[in-house]
Amino acid sequence: MNFKRLFRRSETILIFAIIVLSSIIGIKSPSFLSIASIFDIFRSSIVQLIFALGVLIVIVSGGIDISFPTIGIFSGYTAVVLMQRLELNPNSLIVPLVASVIIGVALGAVNALVIAGFGIPTLIATLGTAGIFRGCMLSFVGITFISEIPVGLDNFATADLIRIESPTAPLARLHILIIPITLLTIGISFLLRRTMFGRSVYALGGGSESARRLGISTRRVQAKIYMLVGGLSGFAGILFVSLQRKASPYDLAGSELDVIAAVVLGGASIMGGYGTVFGTVLGVLLINLIKGNLILLGVSSSWQRAAVGVLLLIGITVQAITESKKVRKRRVSTNEEVVA
Amino acid sequence: MFQLVLIALFILTLFSATSRDVFFTSYNFTSMAYQIPEVAILSIAVMLSMLTGGIDLSIVAISNAAALIASYIMTHHLNAAGTTPNFWIVAACLIGILVGILCGLVNSILVALLNVTPILATLATMTLFNGIAIGLTNGKSVSGLPEQFLRLGNGTFFGLPTPFVAMIILATLVSFLINRTGLGLKVFLIGTNRKAAQYSAIADRKVIMWTYVISGCLSSIAGLVIASRTSAASPDFGASYILLAIVIVVLGGVNPSGGFGTVSGVVLATMVLQMLSSGFNALRFNQFYYLVAQGSMLIAVMVLNLVLEGRRKSRSIHQSRRT
Repeated sequence: MNFKRLFRRSETILIFAIIVLSSIIGIKSPSFLSIASIFDIFRSSIVQLIFALGVLIVIVSGGIDISFPTIGIFSGYTAVVLMQRLELNPNSLIVPLVASVIIGVALGAVNALVIAGFGIPTLIATLGTAGIFRGCMLSFVGITFISEIPVGLDNFATADLIRIESPTAPLARLHILIIPITLLTIGISFLLRRTMFGRSVYALGGGSESARRLGISTRRVQAKIYMLVGGLSGFAGILFVSLQRKASPYDLAGSELDVIAAVVLGGASIMGGYGTVFGTVLGVLLINLIKGNLILLGVSSSWQRAAVGVLLLIGITVQAITESKKVRKRRVSTNEEVVA
Repeated sequence: MFQLVLIALFILTLFSATSRDVFFTSYNFTSMAYQIPEVAILSIAVMLSMLTGGIDLSIVAISNAAALIASYIMTHHLNAAGTTPNFWIVAACLIGILVGILCGLVNSILVALLNVTPILATLATMTLFNGIAIGLTNGKSVSGLPEQFLRLGNGTFFGLPTPFVAMIILATLVSFLINRTGLGLKVFLIGTNRKAAQYSAIADRKVIMWTYVISGCLSSIAGLVIASRTSAASPDFGASYILLAIVIVVLGGVNPSGGFGTVSGVVLATMVLQMLSSGFNALRFNQFYYLVAQGSMLIAVMVLNLVLEGRRKSRSIHQSRRT
C-alpha cells in the first residue's frame, strides 16, 4: 500500500472534506448527526447520482454533455403524459419506467447521431440538441404542470425500505431505491473497469486518434455512450417525477451544473481518460451535503449556487495545478506541455 | 460571408411575404433594432474567446452581474424626484464595466495561467458569478431605474436607436482590434495553432488573458444595454442567450476551434436570428419553435461546415496529387 499516493488521490481528499464538513455542520447543529440526516442526503442524491454516472462516462470519454437534464425531464414528462393520454394502467410502475428509459435512449440516439455520426464537437452538439429537445417538448408534448401523476408513481415516492419513527427524533426514511441504485452504481463501475466497452471509453478519453489506431471503433463506442447516457437520464427523469410527485416540463433545467460539478469534484478529468465511479459518488454526496445544509451552517439558501461554483472552482484549480506538476515532471514532450 | 448575406435576404423576403402587415413595418424593424445590439455585443464577446480556440460560457452571468451592480448603485442614489444625478449614473456604468473586466480577469487567470480547459473554467465562473448575483439579491430583480438611464436604452441618436449606434461603434472597435492590431493578429495565430504560436515567441498566455478580459468587458456593456432597455436587472435574465450567442457565432462563420471569424459576419448573423425570432412571432408560432430552430440551425451549420471542409481537403489533396 503506497500511502503517499493514496493520500494524494482525489477520493481521499473528498472523504476527508466530507468528514470535516459533516463535523462542522454537526457542531453547529447537533440534530444533523442523526440517521435521519444520512437517509435524507441519500434521498436527495438519488436523481443526481444517476445523472452523474452518465455524465461520468461521457467525461471519461473526453466529451461533455449538457443535454442530459433536458433528456431526463423530456422522458419523464412524456412518459406521464403518455400514460394519461393513452389511459394506460395508472397503478403500474414498470410502464412509465420503461417508457421513460426508451424515450431517453431515443433522445440519446439523436445525440449519438450528431456526435458520432457527424463528428460535431460535443459541447456545441449537446447545446444544440438540448435546445431542440426542450423546444420540441414544450411545443409538442405540452407545457401544463401535472400535479396528479399516476398512482403507481405517486405511491412509489413513499416506498421506504426502513422507516424509523420516534417521538424525539425526526422521521428517518430510507427509500427502497437504495437497492437498485447501489446495484446500478456497482454495475456501471463494473462496466467501466472490466468490460471492453469500459476500456474503450477510457481509451477514447486518452485520445481519439490513438484509440482509433488501437482498432477501437470510436464511432460505435461514442454512439453507445450517448445512448447509454440517454437511457440513464430517462431513468433519472422518471424517478425525479415520482419522487417530486409532480411533473412539470420546466423542472430540472439548469441542474446540469451541479451534476458536472459533482463529477469533476469526484476526480474525473475533463480532458478525458480518468475518472472513477467511487469518486463520482463522493462528489454527489459532497455537493448535496453542502446544498442541503447551508442553512445549518448559517448561510441563506440563495447562496447555494455560489457555493457549488466555489466548490467547482476549487476542484478545477486543484486539478489544474496537479496536472501542471505532473507535466513538469515528464521528460518527454506531450501535447499538453505547459511552456512556462 | 456571401452565403450569409443570401440567407439574410432570403429570410427577410420570406417573412415579409408571409406576414406583411406585422413583420414588414417600421415598428417591427425599429423594435428589432432595439433588441439586436445586446445580443450582438454578447455574440462578439463569444467570438473573441472562440478565436483563440476556447469559449466563454460565462458571458450572460457577467452581463447580469454588471447590470445588477450598476442598477443597485443607481437606484440607491435616487432623488426624491425619481431621478439620479448624472454623476452617479456614469459612475454606476463605469463600475459595471469594471465588474465585467474583473470577471473577465478571473476567467483569464483560470484559462491562461492555470491552463484549465475554457469550457470547464467558464462553466465554473458562470456558476460562481450567477451564484453571487443570486446570493446578493436573494433572487430578486432590481427595477425602477432612473429615467435618464432608460433614455439611453430606448432613445435615438441622430435617428438611429442609441443601443444600435453603440453596437456599431463597439463592432467597429473590435473589428479594428482583431484585423489591424498586433494583438488581433496574435489572437488569430494562437487560434490557428497554439504550439506554433508559442514557438514563434508569441506571449500566448498574455494574449489569451486579454481576450477574456475584453470579452468580460463587452459582456458587462451588453448587460448595461439590457438593463437600460428593460428597466430592470435580474440574476437570471437571458439564460437562453448562451445558446443564441453560440448559434449566431457559428452561423457568422467563426470556426469553433479557433483561427477564423469576422465581426461583420457575427453582426449579420445576429440580424438573421433576430429576424427569425421576430418572424416567428409575427406568424404566431409558439415561442418554443424558435428554440428548436436555434438548436437545429446550430447543428445544421456545424454539419455543413464539416462537409465543406472535408470537400475542401479532398479537393486540395487531389490538386496536390495532380501537380
